[in-house]
Formats: sequence, C-alpha cells, structure tokens
Amino acid sequence: MKTLLEYGGLLLLLGATACVDVEDQPSRVHDFRVLGLATEPPEFMASACELNPATLDELSEPVTYRALLVDPAGEGRPIQYTLWACADPEDRTCANESNRVLLAEGTTAPGELTLSIQPGAATLADETPLLERVQELDPYLGLGGLRMPLVLFTQAGEERVYAQKLMVFWCPAVEGMRANVQPVIPGLRVDDVAWDAEAPLELRGAGPFVVTSEDVVALQETYVVPGLRLEAVTLRESWEISWHATLGEFSPQETGGSSFGGQEGRHRTEWEPPKGAQAQEVTFWAVVRDGRGGSSWLVRRALWSP
Amino acid sequence: MSSTLKARGALVAASLLLAAPVLAQAPQAGAPPTDAATPPAAQAQPTITKPPELVQQVEAQYPPEALAQGLTASVRLIITIADDGSVAEVLPTEPVGNGFDEAAIAAVRQFRFSPAEVDGVPAPVQVEYVYHFTLTAPEPEAGAEAVEAEQPKATLTGQLISRGSRSRVPNATVRCGDDPDAPEVMSDEDGRFTLEVPAGTCEVRVVATGFQLYQTKEELKANETTEVNFYLAPSGGGLETVVRSDRPKKEVVRRTITREEAQKTPGSFGDPIRVIQSLPGVARAPFISGELLVRGSNPGQTSTMMDGVEIPLLFHLLGGPSVVNAEFIDQLDFFPGGYGSQYGRAVGGIVEVGTRKGASDTLHGSVKVDLLDAGFFLESPITDGISVAAAARRSYIDAILPAVLPETEGGTLSVVPRYWDYQLRVDFGAKRGTPNDDTTVTAGGARSSGYIMAFGSDDQLRVVSTGPETERDLELDTRMNFHRVKGDWTYRKGAMWSVFTPFVGMDRNNIDFGLARQEGKTYTLGAREVLGIELSSALTLRTGLDIVFEHERYDVSFPAPGGIEYVPFPGAEPVGQQLEEQIALNAFDGALFLEADLLVGRFTFTPGVRGNLQTVGNTRNLALDPRLWVRYAATSRTNLKGSLGLYSQPPETFRFIPLPYGNPDLAYQRAFQSSLGVEHRITDVLNVDVTGFFNRRFNNIVSPGQLVANEGGGVFTLPYSNDGIGRAYGVEVMLKKERASATDKWSGWLSYTFSRAEDGRVGPLPQGGGGFGGDSVPDDSAYGLSPWDQTHILTMVAGYVLGNGWELGGRFRYTSGRPMTPLASGHDVYDADRNRYNATFGPYFSDRTGGFHQLDVRVDKSWRFQSWTLTAYLDVQNLYNAKNVEFVFNDYRFRREYEVPGIPILPVVGVKGSF
Repeated sequence: MKTLLEYGGLLLLLGATACVDVEDQPSRVHDFRVLGLATEPPEFMASACELNPATLDELSEPVTYRALLVDPAGEGRPIQYTLWACADPEDRTCANESNRVLLAEGTTAPGELTLSIQPGAATLADETPLLERVQELDPYLGLGGLRMPLVLFTQAGEERVYAQKLMVFWCPAVEGMRANVQPVIPGLRVDDVAWDAEAPLELRGAGPFVVTSEDVVALQETYVVPGLRLEAVTLRESWEISWHATLGEFSPQETGGSSFGGQEGRHRTEWEPPKGAQAQEVTFWAVVRDGRGGSSWLVRRALWSP
Repeated sequence: MSSTLKARGALVAASLLLAAPVLAQAPQAGAPPTDAATPPAAQAQPTITKPPELVQQVEAQYPPEALAQGLTASVRLIITIADDGSVAEVLPTEPVGNGFDEAAIAAVRQFRFSPAEVDGVPAPVQVEYVYHFTLTAPEPEAGAEAVEAEQPKATLTGQLISRGSRSRVPNATVRCGDDPDAPEVMSDEDGRFTLEVPAGTCEVRVVATGFQLYQTKEELKANETTEVNFYLAPSGGGLETVVRSDRPKKEVVRRTITREEAQKTPGSFGDPIRVIQSLPGVARAPFISGELLVRGSNPGQTSTMMDGVEIPLLFHLLGGPSVVNAEFIDQLDFFPGGYGSQYGRAVGGIVEVGTRKGASDTLHGSVKVDLLDAGFFLESPITDGISVAAAARRSYIDAILPAVLPETEGGTLSVVPRYWDYQLRVDFGAKRGTPNDDTTVTAGGARSSGYIMAFGSDDQLRVVSTGPETERDLELDTRMNFHRVKGDWTYRKGAMWSVFTPFVGMDRNNIDFGLARQEGKTYTLGAREVLGIELSSALTLRTGLDIVFEHERYDVSFPAPGGIEYVPFPGAEPVGQQLEEQIALNAFDGALFLEADLLVGRFTFTPGVRGNLQTVGNTRNLALDPRLWVRYAATSRTNLKGSLGLYSQPPETFRFIPLPYGNPDLAYQRAFQSSLGVEHRITDVLNVDVTGFFNRRFNNIVSPGQLVANEGGGVFTLPYSNDGIGRAYGVEVMLKKERASATDKWSGWLSYTFSRAEDGRVGPLPQGGGGFGGDSVPDDSAYGLSPWDQTHILTMVAGYVLGNGWELGGRFRYTSGRPMTPLASGHDVYDADRNRYNATFGPYFSDRTGGFHQLDVRVDKSWRFQSWTLTAYLDVQNLYNAKNVEFVFNDYRFRREYEVPGIPILPVVGVKGSF
C-alpha cells in the first residue's frame, strides 16, 4: 500500500516535471558525446570460480574495446582519450590511482574508437592483479560476477566526458551459465521501409517518421545467474535501444526494456525534425544494450528535406 | 415623550436566554481535573451533563441619560461561570453604548448560578446572555385589569425552527408585544411553545440566543388555538452556531479545529486533515499533498485516529481528499508532541478526529457536490434516546475522464480512478440537551453511555494502455480499502470512570501490474480500556491498555526482482523468472499505561509511563516510555508548561515478512520529545501560545538497510533497518482569535514556526545505493538537513462574515524553500551500461529553493430558504498565481537545474445543500 502511494507521488512529480520544457535532450546530438561503449566479447567465462593463476590466464584474453564518439559541431577536431581499468565501480572517474591501471591513451577523430586491450591481465602498481582487487571491493562477493569498470576519459576542445563501462568476468557458479552473446540490432525500418547502411534514406516532410527495429525477440537470450536467495535465477534479456540523431528528436528516446511487472516495451519510436529546419543530411544512431554488459550500435543516414 | 413612559429595569425573562453553555476556554489550573475525567476516546466530546441555572439575579440600573432619551437596548454578553457558580468574567460581544453595557455588566457580575457539570464533574463554562433594557407604557387606569380579566383568551401554539436547517430552537422567549407584563413563554427542547394571551392582534416577539429578533403579527380569535411555525434566522453567518469545546489542557500543546474551521479554511478544499497543515509545527507538504510533517518528523510518523481508532489510509488516490468526511467531524485535536501516555504508535504528532453525534431533534442532512466527488450527510433521531449520523462520498472522475482522454487508433486507453468512503454512527443515550445528556442512569448512581461507529474507504485505479503505437502495453489495476467497526462504552460511578473501546477491521490491498500480482488482506482486532479514579481533589489516576492484533495474508506472484533475488546489472532490466509466495503474519502490539495528575499549589504534575510490547512471528520488541508534563498557573490568564518523554512507533507488520523482502529483526522506532512554553489569554477570544521544542528520533525505519551476508550463503540488502535518526528543534507561536458569538464577524489565527530539522542514518550509506528520508542521496552524506526542513513557516488564516449569507476567508502562507543540493559539474560522467549520466553535486543540501508564498481565498454564499439552505463556494488557491518552486530537477547530463513549479491559480467551485 505504501509502495503504491509512493509510486503515486512519483507519478505526480513526473507529471509536474513533464510540464517543464527541458532544452537539452539525449536524442538530439548537437555537441560532443559518448553514445556507447562495447567490448568484444562482452564478458568472459572462466572454467572455475577460484581466482588463481590458471583462471586469471583464462580471463586475460584480449578484448576489443569500442567507443562511439560523436562530435557533430566539432568540425573534425581531435579527441584526446585515456582508458583506465579500475577496481571500484563507485569510482566513476577512476580517480583512485592506487586502484587503476592505464590501458590506453592517445588522440582520435570522431567516430568509432577501437582499441585492443587486456583488462583481465591488468595488475596494480603493487603487483596485485586488478581482478583480485575488484573481488575485494565487491560487496556482493562476486555473486554478480567480477565487474571491472573500464573508464574512458575523453576531451574534445573544452568538453570533457568520463564514460564508464563494466567488463564482466564470470565463472560457472551455478549450472546452466553461459557467456553472454553480444546483442545486435538485426535492422531498422522507417515508416515500415527497410533502412540500410549503404545509402542515405530520403525523408521528406515534417514527420513524425516512425522508426522501428526488426524483431529482436528471438535474439534476446535466456540466461542463468547465481541467486541471492535461491540457488539460481533464470532471466530473459529485454533489450533497450537508445535513439539519437544530429537533427530533431526521438520520442520515446529509449525503447524496449521491461517494467517491474515484466511488461516489455516495443522498439518503436518517432523521429520528428524541428520546425523551420533546412534540408540536410542527418546521421542517426541506435545503440542497443542487453542489460548484462553487451552493447552494439547501428549508424544510419538520411537526406531529409521539409 | 419620556414623561409618559415609565422606566423599568431589565426583564427577568432575559435571564432565560441562556444559550446552551459551552466549556470555558481556558479554565484555571486549579480547576477540578475535568480532563482527568475525560478518557481519550471521549476526549473529543466532553459533555455538559448539568447546565448552570441562574439562582440569584440582580436588576440593572437603567442608564439615566438613555432613560431621558427614551432609548432601549439589548446587551449581549459572554459570561464565564466558575466551577462554584460564581461569575468569573463578563464581556459584551458587541458594545451598544449609551451606558447600557456598563449597567448590564455591573448587574451580571452579581449573578449567582448553580455550578455546571461536565461529564458529571463541576466545571467552568461559558454562556451567552442577553440583557434587555426596555421601556414600558404608562400604568393602566384603574379598572383596566378587571376589563382585561374579562377579555376573552386565545391560544398561540407552535414550534420555533431555525431557518435553513430545520433545527429546533429551544430556550427562546415568545411573547406578544414589548410590554413587560405581557404573557410570555419559553420554548422547550423541541422548540415548542404554547402561549395564552388575550384575543386580538398579537405582535409576536421571539428572542433567542444566536438568532435575530423575530417579529410578526398574528390575529388570534377568541377561544381558539392558532398553530404556527416560526422560522428564526440565525444571526451568525454560518449554518450552525459555532460551538467550541476547548477542554482544560494537559498536553503542552493541543490545537483544536472546529468543524466550521475545517470546512471553511481557504486552500484546504474543506478537507479537515489539510487544515492541520496550517497550524504551527507542521511543515508544508509539496503540491496539494496532505502529508503531515510535524516537528521535523517524516511522512508516516504522525498518527491520525477517528475517535481513538487509527485510520489506516488517510488520503484517497494520488493526493486526493482525506477519507474523513468533513461533515462527519465534530472537531479535530492536533498534538504536535508531548501527548499523554494513552497515546502511542507515533514518534511524530497525533491527530484525533472527533466524530459527530447525530441530531436529536429531527432529520437533518446535506448534499455536497464539487469537482471531484459528491457526498451526503444525514443525521436523525431514531427513537427517543437513539440517534444516527451517516455520511458517504463517491468520486466521479471515472465518469468524466473518458470524455477527456484521447482516442487511440487500434488500441485502448482507459484510466479509471474511483474512490468512496463512508461513516456511520449510532448513539445510545438520552436526548441531547437534557441534564443527563448522552447518559443512561442505572441503579446505584452509575451511568453508562455508548455508541457504535463504522467507517471505511475504497480506492481503485485501473489503467489500461495498449495498441501498436504505444511504447508498451500497460495494465495496472489496484484496489485498496479498509473497514472499521468500533464500539464505545463509557461507565461512570462516583469518582471512578471507565471507557472501553473495542474495534474490528479489515483491509484489502490488491495490485495487478503486468506479471506482478499481490493480494493482501489484513484482519484487525483491537481494544482500548481507560480506567480513571479521582482519589482526591489533588490526585487523579488513569490507567489502561491499548491492544491491537493483526493477521496479515499476502498472496503474491511477480518476476524475480534484481537486487533482491540476484545482483542487478546496471541498465536494461531483464524479465525474471516468475516467483510465487504465500505469506501470513500474526502481529500483536499492546501497551499498558499509567499516569497521574498531581496538583501542588499552582503546579500540576502529570507523570506517566507507557509500556509497549510488539510481537510479530518470533520477534519480540519492548519499549518503555516514561513521560512527564508540568503546568504552572502563573496568573489566572497565564500558564507556563513543559514536557519531556519517550515515544515509540512499531514498524508496520508487513515490514516483518522474511528476508529478503522484509526484516524480521526490526525494533520500535523511538523518539525523545521535549517542549517548554507559555500560553496567555489576552481576552476571552484571543489567545497566544509560544512553545519551544527539541525532539530526537532514533531507531527509525530507513530503506534500504545495509548489505549483509546471509548465514546460509548469499548477500542481501536489508529492505528496512532501524538505522534512521533525526533531530528537530524550534519555536512555535500561535495567536488565535475565535468568534465570541454567532454575531462576531472575525475569526482566524496567525501561526509561525522557526525550526531546524535534520534527518539521516547511523553509519554509512548502504553499499549499492539507497536513499534515506524518502529521497535519493546525491552524495555520501548519511546525515544532514531533512528534505522537509523549512526554517520559517508563517500562516495567517482569517474568516469574516460579510452578512446576508456571504462569508469571506483568506489564508496566506510563507515558508522557506526546501533544501537542495547544487550541481558542481565541470565534466560529464556517463554510465554507458545504464545509458545515464551521473551527477557531480556540491555540498549536501547546501542550498534551498526559493521561498514559498501563496494566498488562498474562499468565498461562501448561503441562501436560506424556509427549511433548507443552499451554499455555494469558490475556493481559489494561489490567488495571485505565485510561481513557487516545489522541486528542482536536472537535465539528463546534470548541467542545468530546472525548477518544477507548484500549482498555479486553481479555482474550485462547490455546492452544498443542507436541511
């Protein structure tokens, strides 16, 4: 009863918040952003749950790290980056030097930054394997896997962004556990027309244009994790897709996912260009997350005219 | 002309215009402990069991100058009668001048009454009294009396009825003409009268307290009986005479709100609970929420009771009206702290709603319609000695919304909110106004009285949103209701009294939200017994018990939630496997209490103790709450007062369900409360009260608790823990002007609170996140300013009777802004897994939103017809449309702060018909 009342209060607050016109929206990309981070593979699965040299070796395989860096107003300016692996997920900027390991740094251009890293092999200045320190600091004692924060610091001009992604190192703690498979959006459609990456789609008019993803239900994995109360808990992925564009806004700006009651969202959104805008080429991004560390994205272009 | 007139003093008949007496507003400290004789369940309605009678009347001197000018007058007076029958104070309600006031006061000061009794004990009371100065015609010539004797007689009989409400008017004087020698008669309890007068034209004059002078002409035929109904117009603006029943105060602070105040305070929509928010010590709740935030306590820490039985759900859906129908209440008592040992289960304040006894004269009722709901109230005698009062209300938003909601193509959008509530009370006892009001005398001098009451409410909300164009298919169906049936048996014999209040209840709480379903039922059985005895004039003891047994059952089915069943990963929530649970809990919460009133000179000491025991499953909690109040009567008008003590509030039973969804190891929430103050009666209708307070709360429930390792493996976040602490201190000032009589036009109060409230938890914040005090915590602070802290709270409430059925009310409020934590960004911090940014905040609650100020105005207009009254009102919130800030939120990257505005100007119109 009390919970419902609290939800009621929250609803009222959200209703009031909805009356406030917020200028900056996540789907309208007008400045420097990190839109997504991904690792390939999205997680490692060791053969045993003891953290010893053998399992550390298994978890030290190379990883392809990708970052989606966009800077539509930057006119191609260079982006400086530094990538750390850290031990404490609450240390969002990886500020604690004693618990971090530098993985990469340099300068890149807007677009996709791709790095090959070995976070599982990282050792701290005191020679402690970083994974051991992650385990030490984990309040859940590894029941959610060892979650190593990878923090990317980027700077474009005066704009600075710290972006964190958790790299998950699992072990078969309960029967039926399998390594995560990277989520991939099978395709996009605009007003029910397939939207390919090869050529920009021509869009005309004030919209809104209905943008959907191809059906992902069959791709969402059912998986098993250790339970806090039960032996194991079976879960099913419910992907979320965030939508971004260099012009106009999406509504909703994020689709999919499931509610507390397990009611899942459909991947359908509407893109609407701003009134009075000139004809131009618009870049769109759709970033998918599977809710367990997997992520990927699609980039599409369109030639829009009023 | 004056030479032809003969002066004559005030008529004895005027003495019969004693209004129904009311309890004196601030009796002497040394007065008999009428409060001691008033057990808690009956505290809301002390009864005058024996009205005062005038035993010595003194004739006033007619002012010479007025006499010379041939002036007449009626002086309306408020007489405070001490508990020994002497006149303690006399005040004119409206001075008439020309020396009449002084003459009347001088005479009345010499009056002597028989002592009035309240609940069987002598007590000070107030009566309204009209002293008439009239001039009579010259002495009739000799033989005239013989002529008169031979003149044929006629009979005038009938009933006096209050215009617009059909209430009977007792104790009114009915006479023919202004001649003091003319025959006259008093109306009885049913307003009936029979007058024998000479046949011919009768210039009828009806004089009744609280009503305008009624004059008419009746042609009376010889030897015939003429039957009439006279409809008297109330002299006040309200529908009913304002009846105050302030009782002697034992608590350091008790604020009392009458039904009229509850209904007509602007900005409260006539909601009695919301009126409490205008009193000192109560912080302003956001928007139009009626949450009671008392002296630094959090929501849910103030208990609201209806005649001694806790109201389980105070407000209807989503900030709707309170479940207490304003028509059904007699008055509200609000204790912000320092209350007696018979009260418990709260670490904040107590609100006691006293319900209304049904009318004993005839059927009355009202129907009210406003924007959200419609309701009725009925009261009537059933037989002699039994009366009934009933009220019910239902919303009709569910009927209006379909016309407003947009139509969806190929889908469904349906929002059905619905609520209703009811109250029913049946009283057993003698008719109101008789010497043994509310009481049945039994053998041996013992007296019993009682009533049975039922109340309850029901809230339903069904939301269905489906279709290919919706973000997701959404189905939500909730229903919450409760029912309570209580009895009340009061027994008095000599210096001993007992009040027994048993009750039973049933609550239902169902939620269907997609795959999540909960069916919850709670059965409640409880009783309260208060036994008191006056051992001597200086010592009174009270003891009793207060027990509640609950049986709760939950049948739930839901997808396994992250954080409880498994370690959640940030970002897209997966769909968990379906879990099903059936949970049953038996809980007992009982208390034994004992307190005494000890009079030592000008001091009154009230030490008390309350021992609490809670058992839920295998959990046993004990708490001992010693309390002490001291009152010092510095003068007849000034009292100093102080209190200190411990208070306990049991965690709700559902919080004890097994881990990981509950915490069976919870203990009582505790608080130390102390206060020191002074109250002063500036005049009989103007009081000031200044009270300082310091409260410390500890062992309060916070959510979530800490992360703990389970003995059998696994790690749990405790959903609740007793880590909450808080502190509040400040000063409250209350200046209140009451209406002296039905003709007094002004009433209102000014309240001001200066306070500081802190809230938080012992130890660090739980790992894995979690808030305290109901809010998310933007940094690592585990203790600091309360989210509800408001340094300055100023409220001014005023009501003015314009006349001719018009009334005007206003409420102005100013409060300091709510604490907020400013942004301290310089870079973005992005959580790529959640696709959310994290904020970088400055010092915790180091800033505030802008101050809140608002003016609410209410206008009432009544049209009184012969047997019913129509009232329309316009209640305008935020009249000058102040742009107040309720909350501050940030854009998605936490670069900028946005202010969430409060409600703009909001007019609400309502109509009420009553008879």
